[in-house]
Amino acid sequence: MSNVFFNITYGHFLVLAAVMFCIGVIGVLLRRNALIVLMSIELQLNAANITVLTFARMHNDMHGHALAFIVIAVAAAEAAVGLAIVVAVFRSRHHADIDRLTSLKH
Amino acid sequence: MSVRSIAAVLALLLALVAGPAVAVAQTAGAPAKTRVNAAAGNTAGNQVRHKAGQTKKADKKTEKTSKVMALVFCLFALMCVGGSLFVITRRNLIAAVMGMVGTFFAIAAIYIMLYAHFLAAIQVLVYAGAIMVLFVFVIMILNRPVDEPWSKQGVWGKGLAIAATAYLLYRLGDVLWSVKVEVAGPGPGKYIDHGDFGSTAHVGQVLFQDYIFPFEAVSIVLLVAVVGAIAVARPNKKRETLDNVAGEGGAE
Repeated sequence: MSNVFFNITYGHFLVLAAVMFCIGVIGVLLRRNALIVLMSIELQLNAANITVLTFARMHNDMHGHALAFIVIAVAAAEAAVGLAIVVAVFRSRHHADIDRLTSLKH
Repeated sequence: MSVRSIAAVLALLLALVAGPAVAVAQTAGAPAKTRVNAAAGNTAGNQVRHKAGQTKKADKKTEKTSKVMALVFCLFALMCVGGSLFVITRRNLIAAVMGMVGTFFAIAAIYIMLYAHFLAAIQVLVYAGAIMVLFVFVIMILNRPVDEPWSKQGVWGKGLAIAATAYLLYRLGDVLWSVKVEVAGPGPGKYIDHGDFGSTAHVGQVLFQDYIFPFEAVSIVLLVAVVGAIAVARPNKKRETLDNVAGEGGAE
Protein backbone atom coordinates (compact mmCIF):
# COMPACT_ATOMS: atom_id res chain seq x y z
CA MET A 1 0.00 0.00 0.00
CA SER A 2 2.82 2.38 0.81
CA ASN A 3 4.27 1.52 -2.56
CA VAL A 4 1.20 3.02 -4.17
CA PHE A 5 1.81 6.31 -2.41
CA PHE A 6 5.59 6.42 -2.65
CA ASN A 7 6.01 5.32 -6.23
CA ILE A 8 4.31 7.97 -8.31
CA THR A 9 3.43 6.86 -11.81
CA TYR A 10 1.47 8.44 -14.60
CA GLY A 11 -1.53 6.47 -13.41
CA HIS A 12 -1.61 8.64 -10.32
CA PHE A 13 -1.91 11.76 -12.41
CA LEU A 14 -4.62 10.20 -14.53
CA VAL A 15 -6.58 9.05 -11.49
CA LEU A 16 -6.25 12.51 -9.96
CA ALA A 17 -7.61 14.00 -13.17
CA ALA A 18 -10.48 11.49 -13.18
CA VAL A 19 -11.34 12.31 -9.58
CA MET A 20 -11.32 16.04 -10.29
CA PHE A 21 -13.44 15.54 -13.40
CA CYS A 22 -15.98 13.55 -11.39
CA ILE A 23 -16.10 16.24 -8.72
CA GLY A 24 -16.83 18.72 -11.51
CA VAL A 25 -19.59 16.44 -12.80
CA ILE A 26 -21.09 16.26 -9.31
CA GLY A 27 -20.99 20.06 -9.10
CA VAL A 28 -22.71 20.47 -12.46
CA LEU A 29 -25.39 17.92 -11.59
CA LEU A 30 -26.15 18.89 -8.02
CA ARG A 31 -25.64 22.61 -7.64
CA ARG A 32 -28.35 25.08 -8.54
CA ASN A 33 -26.36 28.27 -8.74
CA ALA A 34 -25.26 29.03 -12.28
CA LEU A 35 -21.93 30.45 -11.14
CA ILE A 36 -21.03 27.30 -9.23
CA VAL A 37 -22.01 25.27 -12.28
CA LEU A 38 -19.66 27.38 -14.41
CA MET A 39 -16.86 26.86 -11.90
CA SER A 40 -17.48 23.12 -11.96
CA ILE A 41 -17.18 23.20 -15.74
CA GLU A 42 -13.83 24.96 -15.32
CA LEU A 43 -12.80 22.17 -12.96
CA GLN A 44 -13.67 19.59 -15.60
CA LEU A 45 -11.66 21.45 -18.22
CA ASN A 46 -8.68 21.54 -15.89
CA ALA A 47 -8.98 17.83 -15.20
CA ALA A 48 -9.01 17.18 -18.93
CA ASN A 49 -5.93 19.37 -19.23
CA ILE A 50 -4.10 17.35 -16.59
CA THR A 51 -4.91 14.20 -18.55
CA VAL A 52 -3.66 15.74 -21.79
CA LEU A 53 -0.42 16.91 -20.20
CA THR A 54 0.12 13.55 -18.53
CA PHE A 55 -0.17 11.77 -21.84
CA ALA A 56 2.09 14.36 -23.44
CA ARG A 57 4.72 13.66 -20.79
CA MET A 58 4.16 9.93 -21.05
CA HIS A 59 4.80 9.89 -24.77
CA ASN A 60 7.38 12.67 -24.62
CA ASP A 61 5.36 14.57 -27.17
CA MET A 62 4.95 18.32 -27.04
CA HIS A 63 1.79 18.43 -29.13
CA GLY A 64 -0.30 17.87 -26.04
CA HIS A 65 0.97 21.16 -24.69
CA ALA A 66 -0.42 22.97 -27.73
CA LEU A 67 -3.75 21.24 -27.15
CA ALA A 68 -3.76 22.22 -23.48
CA PHE A 69 -2.95 25.80 -24.42
CA ILE A 70 -5.89 25.93 -26.81
CA VAL A 71 -8.14 24.36 -24.17
CA ILE A 72 -7.16 27.11 -21.73
CA ALA A 73 -7.94 29.81 -24.32
CA VAL A 74 -11.29 28.28 -25.16
CA ALA A 75 -12.07 27.94 -21.45
CA ALA A 76 -11.42 31.66 -21.04
CA ALA A 77 -13.80 32.42 -23.91
CA GLU A 78 -16.38 30.05 -22.45
CA ALA A 79 -16.13 31.68 -19.03
CA ALA A 80 -16.59 35.15 -20.53
CA VAL A 81 -19.67 34.17 -22.52
CA GLY A 82 -21.14 32.08 -19.70
CA LEU A 83 -20.73 34.86 -17.17
CA ALA A 84 -22.27 37.34 -19.59
CA ILE A 85 -25.28 35.06 -19.96
CA VAL A 86 -25.52 34.73 -16.16
CA VAL A 87 -25.44 38.51 -15.81
CA ALA A 88 -28.12 38.93 -18.49
CA VAL A 89 -30.34 36.28 -16.90
CA PHE A 90 -29.88 37.80 -13.48
CA ARG A 91 -30.76 41.21 -14.83
CA SER A 92 -34.08 40.03 -16.22
CA ARG A 93 -35.00 37.38 -13.60
CA HIS A 94 -33.25 38.61 -10.45
CA HIS A 95 -31.95 35.14 -9.69
CA ALA A 96 -29.42 32.74 -11.17
CA ASP A 97 -31.06 29.51 -10.09
CA ILE A 98 -30.90 27.04 -12.95
CA ASP A 99 -33.77 24.97 -11.56
CA ARG A 100 -36.09 27.95 -11.87
CA LEU A 101 -35.04 28.87 -15.40
CA THR A 102 -37.72 26.75 -17.02
CA SER A 103 -39.33 29.15 -19.47
CA LEU A 104 -38.04 27.09 -22.42
CA LYS A 105 -39.87 24.01 -21.10
CA HIS A 106 -42.31 22.77 -23.75
CA MET B 1 -17.20 31.20 7.74
CA SER B 2 -14.14 33.13 8.72
CA VAL B 3 -12.38 29.91 9.69
CA ARG B 4 -13.03 28.58 6.21
CA SER B 5 -11.72 31.74 4.62
CA ILE B 6 -8.57 31.48 6.69
CA ALA B 7 -8.22 27.87 5.60
CA ALA B 8 -8.55 28.91 1.96
CA VAL B 9 -5.93 31.61 2.35
CA LEU B 10 -3.60 29.15 4.09
CA ALA B 11 -4.02 26.69 1.25
CA LEU B 12 -3.20 29.46 -1.20
CA LEU B 13 -0.04 30.39 0.67
CA LEU B 14 0.96 26.75 0.86
CA ALA B 15 0.59 26.48 -2.90
CA LEU B 16 2.67 29.60 -3.40
CA VAL B 17 5.46 28.27 -1.19
CA ALA B 18 5.42 24.71 -2.41
CA GLY B 19 5.26 25.50 -6.12
CA PRO B 20 8.93 26.52 -6.34
CA ALA B 21 9.78 23.57 -4.09
CA VAL B 22 8.71 21.24 -6.87
CA ALA B 23 10.99 22.98 -9.33
CA VAL B 24 13.85 22.75 -6.83
CA ALA B 25 13.18 19.07 -6.29
CA GLN B 26 13.24 18.53 -10.02
CA THR B 27 16.45 20.42 -10.61
CA ALA B 28 18.03 18.53 -7.73
CA GLY B 29 17.66 15.41 -9.82
CA ALA B 30 19.12 17.12 -12.89
CA PRO B 31 22.86 16.41 -12.43
CA ALA B 32 22.14 12.70 -12.34
CA LYS B 33 20.52 12.92 -15.73
CA THR B 34 23.39 14.58 -17.53
CA ARG B 35 25.77 11.97 -16.26
CA VAL B 36 23.44 9.22 -17.36
CA ASN B 37 23.13 10.84 -20.75
CA ALA B 38 26.89 11.08 -21.08
CA ALA B 39 27.15 7.42 -20.22
CA ALA B 40 24.51 6.59 -22.81
CA GLY B 41 26.65 7.64 -25.76
CA ASN B 42 28.41 4.33 -26.43
CA THR B 43 29.08 1.80 -29.12
CA ALA B 44 26.33 -0.54 -30.12
CA GLY B 45 28.11 -3.62 -28.82
CA ASN B 46 28.18 -2.46 -25.26
CA GLN B 47 24.81 -0.89 -25.45
CA VAL B 48 22.84 -3.53 -23.60
CA ARG B 49 25.28 -3.74 -20.73
CA HIS B 50 25.52 0.00 -20.47
CA LYS B 51 21.82 0.35 -20.63
CA ALA B 52 21.44 -1.98 -17.67
CA GLY B 53 24.02 -0.03 -15.69
CA GLN B 54 22.44 3.20 -16.74
CA THR B 55 19.00 2.29 -15.53
CA LYS B 56 20.41 1.05 -12.23
CA LYS B 57 22.29 4.28 -11.72
CA ALA B 58 19.25 6.28 -12.73
CA ASP B 59 17.09 4.32 -10.30
CA LYS B 60 19.47 4.92 -7.42
CA LYS B 61 19.76 8.60 -8.21
CA THR B 62 16.09 9.18 -8.73
CA GLU B 63 14.97 7.21 -5.71
CA LYS B 64 15.45 10.12 -3.33
CA THR B 65 13.93 12.61 -5.74
CA SER B 66 11.04 10.33 -6.36
CA LYS B 67 10.26 10.16 -2.62
CA VAL B 68 10.19 13.94 -2.48
CA MET B 69 8.14 14.02 -5.63
CA ALA B 70 5.75 11.47 -4.18
CA LEU B 71 5.21 13.55 -1.07
CA VAL B 72 4.78 16.72 -3.11
CA PHE B 73 2.42 14.96 -5.47
CA CYS B 74 0.30 13.65 -2.61
CA LEU B 75 0.17 17.13 -1.09
CA PHE B 76 -0.94 18.80 -4.29
CA ALA B 77 -3.30 16.01 -5.25
CA LEU B 78 -4.96 16.41 -1.85
CA MET B 79 -5.11 20.16 -2.42
CA CYS B 80 -6.68 19.65 -5.84
CA VAL B 81 -9.33 17.23 -4.64
CA GLY B 82 -9.99 19.09 -1.40
CA GLY B 83 -10.19 22.42 -3.21
CA SER B 84 -12.59 20.98 -5.77
CA LEU B 85 -14.81 19.58 -3.03
CA PHE B 86 -14.57 22.94 -1.26
CA VAL B 87 -15.75 24.68 -4.43
CA ILE B 88 -18.79 22.54 -5.03
CA THR B 89 -19.94 22.50 -1.39
CA ARG B 90 -19.79 26.22 -0.55
CA ARG B 91 -22.87 28.33 -0.13
CA ASN B 92 -20.83 31.50 -0.11
CA LEU B 93 -19.78 32.24 -3.66
CA ILE B 94 -16.71 34.26 -2.69
CA ALA B 95 -15.46 31.36 -0.57
CA ALA B 96 -16.02 29.06 -3.54
CA VAL B 97 -13.99 31.34 -5.79
CA MET B 98 -11.14 31.50 -3.27
CA GLY B 99 -11.13 27.71 -3.04
CA MET B 100 -11.05 27.64 -6.83
CA VAL B 101 -7.99 29.89 -6.88
CA GLY B 102 -6.20 27.56 -4.44
CA THR B 103 -7.18 24.60 -6.60
CA PHE B 104 -5.75 26.32 -9.66
CA PHE B 105 -2.46 26.95 -7.92
CA ALA B 106 -2.30 23.27 -6.96
CA ILE B 107 -3.10 22.32 -10.56
CA ALA B 108 -0.26 24.57 -11.71
CA ALA B 109 2.06 22.67 -9.36
CA ILE B 110 0.82 19.41 -10.88
CA TYR B 111 1.64 20.85 -14.31
CA ILE B 112 5.16 21.63 -13.10
CA MET B 113 5.50 18.03 -11.94
CA LEU B 114 4.61 17.03 -15.49
CA TYR B 115 7.35 19.32 -16.84
CA ALA B 116 4.81 21.72 -18.33
CA HIS B 117 6.38 24.86 -16.92
CA PHE B 118 5.03 27.25 -19.51
CA LEU B 119 1.52 25.94 -19.11
CA ALA B 120 1.82 26.19 -15.34
CA ALA B 121 2.61 29.89 -15.70
CA ILE B 122 -0.27 30.28 -18.15
CA GLN B 123 -2.52 28.45 -15.72
CA VAL B 124 -1.73 30.87 -12.93
CA LEU B 125 -1.97 33.92 -15.18
CA VAL B 126 -5.12 33.03 -17.07
CA TYR B 127 -7.11 30.99 -14.57
CA ALA B 128 -6.11 32.31 -11.19
CA GLY B 129 -5.45 35.79 -12.54
CA ALA B 130 -8.08 36.48 -15.16
CA ILE B 131 -10.97 34.04 -15.06
CA MET B 132 -11.32 34.04 -11.30
CA VAL B 133 -11.21 37.84 -11.23
CA LEU B 134 -14.01 37.78 -13.78
CA PHE B 135 -15.98 35.46 -11.50
CA VAL B 136 -15.40 37.75 -8.53
CA PHE B 137 -16.54 40.74 -10.59
CA VAL B 138 -19.74 38.99 -11.60
CA ILE B 139 -20.43 37.86 -8.04
CA MET B 140 -19.94 41.40 -6.83
CA ILE B 141 -22.22 42.74 -9.58
CA LEU B 142 -24.96 40.22 -8.79
CA ASN B 143 -24.44 40.66 -5.04
CA ARG B 144 -26.78 37.87 -4.06
CA PRO B 145 -25.82 35.02 -1.75
CA VAL B 146 -27.16 31.57 -2.50
CA ASP B 147 -30.06 30.38 -0.41
CA GLU B 148 -30.45 26.73 -1.28
CA PRO B 149 -27.23 25.30 -2.60
CA TRP B 150 -28.43 21.86 -3.59
CA SER B 151 -30.78 20.91 -6.32
CA LYS B 152 -34.22 20.01 -5.01
CA GLN B 153 -34.95 17.17 -7.37
CA GLY B 154 -35.77 14.96 -4.43
CA VAL B 155 -34.00 11.97 -3.00
CA TRP B 156 -34.30 9.94 -6.19
CA GLY B 157 -32.54 12.41 -8.43
CA LYS B 158 -29.80 13.00 -5.93
CA GLY B 159 -29.27 9.32 -5.25
CA LEU B 160 -29.22 8.55 -8.95
CA ALA B 161 -26.73 11.33 -9.64
CA ILE B 162 -24.42 10.25 -6.81
CA ALA B 163 -24.63 6.59 -7.80
CA ALA B 164 -23.96 7.38 -11.46
CA THR B 165 -21.01 9.57 -10.55
CA ALA B 166 -19.58 6.98 -8.19
CA TYR B 167 -19.87 4.36 -10.89
CA LEU B 168 -18.22 6.67 -13.43
CA LEU B 169 -15.43 7.39 -10.96
CA TYR B 170 -14.96 3.69 -10.27
CA ARG B 171 -14.79 2.77 -13.94
CA LEU B 172 -12.46 5.62 -14.82
CA GLY B 173 -10.15 4.83 -11.92
CA ASP B 174 -10.23 1.15 -12.74
CA VAL B 175 -9.26 1.75 -16.35
CA LEU B 176 -6.67 4.39 -15.62
CA TRP B 177 -5.06 2.46 -12.80
CA SER B 178 -4.38 -0.46 -15.10
CA VAL B 179 -2.43 1.67 -17.58
CA LYS B 180 0.89 -0.03 -18.22
CA VAL B 181 3.28 2.75 -17.28
CA GLU B 182 6.40 0.64 -17.75
CA VAL B 183 5.67 0.41 -21.44
CA ALA B 184 5.27 4.13 -21.78
CA GLY B 185 8.54 5.13 -20.17
CA PRO B 186 9.96 6.25 -16.86
CA GLY B 187 7.88 8.01 -14.24
CA PRO B 188 7.44 11.73 -13.98
CA GLY B 189 10.17 12.10 -11.39
CA LYS B 190 12.76 10.71 -13.71
CA TYR B 191 14.38 12.48 -16.56
CA ILE B 192 13.87 12.00 -20.27
CA ASP B 193 16.66 13.40 -22.40
CA HIS B 194 14.59 16.09 -24.08
CA GLY B 195 16.13 18.96 -22.17
CA ASP B 196 13.62 21.56 -23.25
CA PHE B 197 10.48 19.49 -22.82
CA GLY B 198 7.74 21.86 -21.75
CA SER B 199 9.88 24.94 -21.99
CA THR B 200 8.53 28.16 -23.42
CA ALA B 201 10.75 27.88 -26.48
CA HIS B 202 9.56 24.37 -27.25
CA VAL B 203 5.91 25.23 -26.70
CA GLY B 204 6.36 28.24 -28.98
CA GLN B 205 7.92 26.10 -31.67
CA VAL B 206 5.10 23.58 -31.56
CA LEU B 207 2.47 26.28 -31.37
CA PHE B 208 3.76 28.45 -34.18
CA GLN B 209 4.89 25.70 -36.54
CA ASP B 210 2.51 22.79 -36.28
CA TYR B 211 -0.47 24.53 -34.72
CA ILE B 212 -0.40 27.95 -36.31
CA PHE B 213 -3.90 27.61 -37.74
CA PRO B 214 -5.56 26.51 -34.48
CA PHE B 215 -3.67 29.27 -32.73
CA GLU B 216 -5.08 31.91 -35.06
CA ALA B 217 -8.51 30.31 -34.92
CA VAL B 218 -8.42 30.56 -31.14
CA SER B 219 -7.69 34.24 -31.42
CA ILE B 220 -10.82 34.60 -33.57
CA VAL B 221 -12.76 32.59 -30.99
CA LEU B 222 -11.59 34.91 -28.24
CA LEU B 223 -12.52 37.98 -30.27
CA VAL B 224 -15.99 36.62 -30.99
CA ALA B 225 -16.39 35.66 -27.33
CA VAL B 226 -15.46 39.15 -26.17
CA VAL B 227 -17.85 40.81 -28.59
CA GLY B 228 -20.59 38.30 -27.76
CA ALA B 229 -20.10 38.73 -24.03
CA ILE B 230 -20.41 42.48 -24.35
CA ALA B 231 -23.46 42.16 -26.58
CA VAL B 232 -25.16 39.72 -24.19
CA ALA B 233 -24.32 41.42 -20.92
CA ARG B 234 -25.03 44.97 -22.03
CA PRO B 235 -28.23 46.40 -20.59
CA ASN B 236 -30.96 46.55 -23.17
CA LYS B 237 -30.90 50.28 -23.82
CA LYS B 238 -33.37 50.17 -26.65
CA ARG B 239 -36.17 48.56 -24.66
CA GLU B 240 -35.55 50.83 -21.71
CA THR B 241 -35.82 53.94 -23.84
CA LEU B 242 -38.93 52.53 -25.48
CA ASP B 243 -40.43 51.90 -22.05
CA ASN B 244 -39.49 55.36 -20.92
CA VAL B 245 -41.00 56.90 -24.01
CA ALA B 246 -44.14 54.83 -23.60
CA GLY B 247 -44.30 55.78 -19.94
CA GLU B 248 -44.09 59.42 -20.83
CA GLY B 249 -46.88 58.99 -23.30
CA GLY B 250 -44.83 60.06 -26.31
CA ALA B 251 -44.73 58.28 -29.63
CA GLU B 252 -41.56 56.62 -30.85
